[in-house]
Amino acid sequence: MKRRGRGIACMWYPIGFTVSANPSAATVKVNEDGTATVLTGTVETGQGSLTVLGQIAAEELGVATDDVHVVSADTDVTPMDTGAIASRTTYVTGNAVKLAAEKAKAILFEAAAPMLGVRPEQLEAKDRTIRVKGFPQRNLPIGEVANHAQAVKGEPAIGSASWNPPTLAMDPDTGQGKPFSTYVYATQIAEVEVDDETGDVEVIRIVAAHDCGTAINPMLVEGQIEGGISMGVGFALQEEMLFDAAGRQINPNLTNYIMPTSLDMPRIEVDIIDNYDPTGPFGAKGVGEPTSVPTAAAILNAIHDAVGVRITSLPATAEKVLAAIRAKSAHERIAVR
Amino acid sequence: MNVTIKVNGEVHCASVAPETTLLSLLRDNFNLTGAKLGCDVGDCGACTVIVDGMPVNSCLMLAGQADGREVLTVEGLAAPDRLHPIQKAFEDHAALQCGFCGPAVILSAKALLDENPAPTLQEIRDALAGNLCRCTGYTKMIEAIQDAAAVLRGETADGPRTGVSHD
Amino acid sequence: MTDKSKVAEKTKEIAVNLLRGAGEDLRLPAAAPAVTYPLETLVPQVRQQTPAVGQRVTRPDGRLHGLGQTKYIDDLSFPGMLYAKIKRAGIASARIKRIDTRAAEAMPGVMAVLTGREIPVNSFGPSLQDQPVLADERVFHAGDGVAAVAAVTEQIALEALERIQVEYELLPAVFDPLTALQDDAPRVHPPKSNIYATKTIRKGDLEKGFAASDRIFEGRFRTQMVEHASLEPHAAIAQWDPNGRVTLWSTLGRITLGRVDIARTLKLAVNRVRIIATIVGGNFGGKNEITQEPVLALLSKKTGRPVKGVFTRGEGFVATTTRHPFVMEYKTGVTKDGRILARKVRLVLDGGAYCSWSETTLGKAAILSAGPYRIDNLLVEAFVVYTNKTMTGAMRGFGAPQVCFAYESHMDDMASALGLDPLDIRLLNVFDEGSLSPTGQVLQSVVARQSLLQAADRFGWREARP
Repeated sequence: MKRRGRGIACMWYPIGFTVSANPSAATVKVNEDGTATVLTGTVETGQGSLTVLGQIAAEELGVATDDVHVVSADTDVTPMDTGAIASRTTYVTGNAVKLAAEKAKAILFEAAAPMLGVRPEQLEAKDRTIRVKGFPQRNLPIGEVANHAQAVKGEPAIGSASWNPPTLAMDPDTGQGKPFSTYVYATQIAEVEVDDETGDVEVIRIVAAHDCGTAINPMLVEGQIEGGISMGVGFALQEEMLFDAAGRQINPNLTNYIMPTSLDMPRIEVDIIDNYDPTGPFGAKGVGEPTSVPTAAAILNAIHDAVGVRITSLPATAEKVLAAIRAKSAHERIAVR
Repeated sequence: MNVTIKVNGEVHCASVAPETTLLSLLRDNFNLTGAKLGCDVGDCGACTVIVDGMPVNSCLMLAGQADGREVLTVEGLAAPDRLHPIQKAFEDHAALQCGFCGPAVILSAKALLDENPAPTLQEIRDALAGNLCRCTGYTKMIEAIQDAAAVLRGETADGPRTGVSHD
Repeated sequence: MTDKSKVAEKTKEIAVNLLRGAGEDLRLPAAAPAVTYPLETLVPQVRQQTPAVGQRVTRPDGRLHGLGQTKYIDDLSFPGMLYAKIKRAGIASARIKRIDTRAAEAMPGVMAVLTGREIPVNSFGPSLQDQPVLADERVFHAGDGVAAVAAVTEQIALEALERIQVEYELLPAVFDPLTALQDDAPRVHPPKSNIYATKTIRKGDLEKGFAASDRIFEGRFRTQMVEHASLEPHAAIAQWDPNGRVTLWSTLGRITLGRVDIARTLKLAVNRVRIIATIVGGNFGGKNEITQEPVLALLSKKTGRPVKGVFTRGEGFVATTTRHPFVMEYKTGVTKDGRILARKVRLVLDGGAYCSWSETTLGKAAILSAGPYRIDNLLVEAFVVYTNKTMTGAMRGFGAPQVCFAYESHMDDMASALGLDPLDIRLLNVFDEGSLSPTGQVLQSVVARQSLLQAADRFGWREARP
């Protein structure tokens, strides 16, 4: 018989390295026509970080995302970056990119101010123009300003900056301290169907409410949540590296190391929580790892709700679930007698 | 041994060792690197190409077995002036993240839609079951395939649907 | 005196004319099929701004992915490139008595062989530098590399590995982390203790908290070793220039650290190393430290040719980092309404054969292990131990998925015993803006409660169940 159950898991997760410095540096160059190039040492591994960093630079410079080209991951050419790790890229590298873009923008403001007859502090960058705050009709195309800065004034609009999250070391005895600058929070609720005759668990639906501060690109945040959930489903129900008595792996291949396929995925409903973290670029935090954190807990709690058994070791394979169900009914039969 | 195959509409020849797989022929001899080496034993599906209309794990097929056949790789989908609707839909939905499994998934989708222009959700899941993806959770791929199917049926030329929950 | 050059020319002319058939003056080259794809140049619109932040922008790299035009490391090739393979020990704990590479070296097509003793500085690691590039005297897990070969084809390289003879002296090994914790367990890295890092978090008065509690609950949880299994295997290509600069195209996720590691292990100045990692097919933490890069660099130096190494899927499992298995013990004191007064956590991490990212994982897991809940009286004791298994390192979450499984299962067990709704017990205890974390940090930008309420609302948690 198939029984349905539901389970909640709530989690928190930090952004950046634990206490230790993990800076990122970036350079933003504004070209003669107002388009821009960003140099970053981060490595794009599929999460879409280069797109997000381009969006941050574009927002700061007041141009469109398509105007920004991002160059990455060449130690001869791009500045240092601690790495795409610990969900830190949007937050740390993003802040570095924003600061670098601000510096390039300051050079543009210095060049534009006399041209527009104002002080640099009165200017803003929007809609591909450098314009006077409160009186946008007085403006110049950003390309004209960039070209003037470089070719007439002799000061090309290039900005370089680095950023490191502020932390405080942890006391060696009590662990008290400020190990991270910011954290994200999330809840996932899973609905499962357990076959109490085979122990098979099917994950029907997962609702995921995730905090990432400002979502710089909501489509990519959704992608991270869906991908993270797939890893969570595998962690909960399928994946396990097995060793023999001599310490050699028994299943070092994808035939016998079971990972989620399209058939194993639940229906996923994503909610990005409305939030703004003033310490992050345009309020953004991060999302890469948190997405796979609560999934297994939610699924295992749902199994408990469905068939009343508490599986305390992962993965909750059909064999384990079935054995637990049988043990429980045997126990109940004894109790009844 | 000599192998003659029609790749993406053009006939090509190559001289290869007998144990050469179709995957190796495509990647090493023809420089068509869209099909990937993910496991070399047919577990991951990253080497999927379409042979005589059927999606195939090219790491399990010998080049000699492809002799005289028609092969479609991802490089043969787009035209000089436009993307294939499946490629466009994948792009609009951000259905690919690291992209490594992408060409294979797109071809599995093409094979499905060629045979079944209006697949159900379950039929799409089944068609992708042999393609492992570690990044995306398959969700946006499935949405993209549904959209591309609609475009190919001539129902709509519109952009992607938004939102992520569906039946 | 005949002019020899003119005679040679005439000979060539005659031969070509004989060989050339009719109408063959213009021949089509035997080239690979051409690939055509649409080129779209986006022209910036003057005075038209799309606000960038918050937009569902399509990814520029998505275009290349969909066309199959993204070039990953294995898609690159260079003239004269060789293929490298690494021989894996297959034994969990041993002393290497002798490595005989002569049969491999003598094989036609084998251009160079490398062993551990040829590595200038044979150790690396993001915190403890306890991992060898190639095992030299000792093998600590079955996936340790003991020798490497560069050959003209991958097939020859693999065959050459079979011909390398290694003589081992088996040593005691330990595989279970709880066993490794014991004083009398075999030492994985003698004379060091198997416990290679600890973390303690202490807050308030634990005994007082338990004394004030109406109920005390205990739970024990375990998680398994898991592999990142990104679709793209670990890959790299090494090439030197005549000025002694080595370029490494690599799937490495941390190129700044990687460059320093390669410079260190090869005893090079940092600016003599260039790492290019523009395209990676998935990482998830498994590609965050060097693996074969120094080996490929040395093979390339020996042969004077570019050398490519691509891990087999099997090597991805046995020879790269994995997720730490955890053993977790929780003891929590609550009021009868479900308010948490005290919590004690003990974590034992299976740290594999080498430290890798274990210290980071330990620290993060310890901090997160109490859960997103307000707890005034807390003790967390966490240990990571060596075992003779595949090294455990960074994997998406650094211990968070493991402890979340434990603390959330534990929470539901308590809710169940107290007759409370799982949502309500969490709402009662969850962090708010300004709450103190386990390390005494004042938390800001906290939306844990909102995440619970929003998810519950979307799910229909409060609705009557069918």
